[in-house]
Amino acid sequence: MTDNETQDDKMNCGLSIAEREVLQARLGELEDTVPPREVWKRIEAQARAEGLFQQRVAEGTKWFAGTGIAAAVVLAVLNIPFATTVVDNGDQNISATPPVSVATGNARPTNLNALMVQSRQIERDLRSLPGQPSLMRASTAATIAELEDRIAVIDYWLNHPQVRMSQEQTEAYWRERVRLMNSLLNLRRAQAQRMAF
Amino acid sequence: MSKFADIQIDPAIVKRATRGDAKAHEILYRAFSAPVYSVCLRFTRVPAQAEDLLQETFIEVIRKITQFRGDAPIGIWIRRIAVSKALMFLRSAWHARGQSLDDDWEEMTFEVRPSAAGSQQHDQAMDLDAAMADLTPVSRAVVWLHDVEGYTHKEIAGLMGKTESFSKSQLSRAYQRLRPMLDAEMERESATSVMQESVLGGF
Repeated sequence: MTDNETQDDKMNCGLSIAEREVLQARLGELEDTVPPREVWKRIEAQARAEGLFQQRVAEGTKWFAGTGIAAAVVLAVLNIPFATTVVDNGDQNISATPPVSVATGNARPTNLNALMVQSRQIERDLRSLPGQPSLMRASTAATIAELEDRIAVIDYWLNHPQVRMSQEQTEAYWRERVRLMNSLLNLRRAQAQRMAF
Repeated sequence: MSKFADIQIDPAIVKRATRGDAKAHEILYRAFSAPVYSVCLRFTRVPAQAEDLLQETFIEVIRKITQFRGDAPIGIWIRRIAVSKALMFLRSAWHARGQSLDDDWEEMTFEVRPSAAGSQQHDQAMDLDAAMADLTPVSRAVVWLHDVEGYTHKEIAGLMGKTESFSKSQLSRAYQRLRPMLDAEMERESATSVMQESVLGGF
């Protein structure tokens, strides 16, 4: 061993083997941090602006439009009035239908507050789960992405200041949100269980 | 161990991504955004900067995925881009301050920071995140790359444009800073172990 190598080894002896093992174990145990949801929107916008994605109708848009049609069909069949968005666009008023299929026909009357509490509880449960599984199947990732997108769309319509909804419609959206959140929670729990084994 | 290599992605998704399929890229993002963001956050400690680096990393992934050969897991390829972006950011930040990596090394060598052995901050030393935050950005990056991501000193030196000795020095000095926290941790583990043995011995 050369003098340099000996010196290097001494420099690396700042910690004992046991201490290094503890450090590496603790560092490895640190949870990943999930970035804010809007980052992907920024990436997507930049990539589209630079023409990096394939030039075709985006699947997300197709899905969005498809659900819009589905929502219209479901609401029409159930004879439920659409929630109306009135967007002030200069001299024009544009009406739009929230692009979410919300089945309200067989819904039993539910207290809105109870749905909100239930939703918050599921969010807490989700937060308590491990942040990132060590193994992730692409199909699972896609399902999670789909669920999160649908929840995001519902949140958009629930929080849009210019959307007018009846109490019944608001409850229907919240009920759908709880249903999707439950699906997401079940999926994430299954992942966590797989991680444990 | 690095989490990047453990995340499995269907090759068909990667193939779709190389064709510029937006949905496939979103799947890649969903799978790797948390580990990429976490690495960037550990290097910079500033969420807004980590978000920018996350965005830059995935834009680079979208731009260059056709160059991905598939020799290693795609997570390793993405990690390389993220680490490179994060280190480039650190370098540019130092340049903006009129400093360089060498200045940072000097700072590490001569500056005596009270938290290194301060008993008044014992509780904080127990917190690994806080202890890591107390390191300079370059030391934190070296510790993370070496001890979590498994980079060698040679690889770290190459990424930082420095010598292997520089990487080893940074690691050694970072260990000295982290030692109080580790000692406290080990004492606590030892005490717990003794207590367990005495409890079990009673039966």
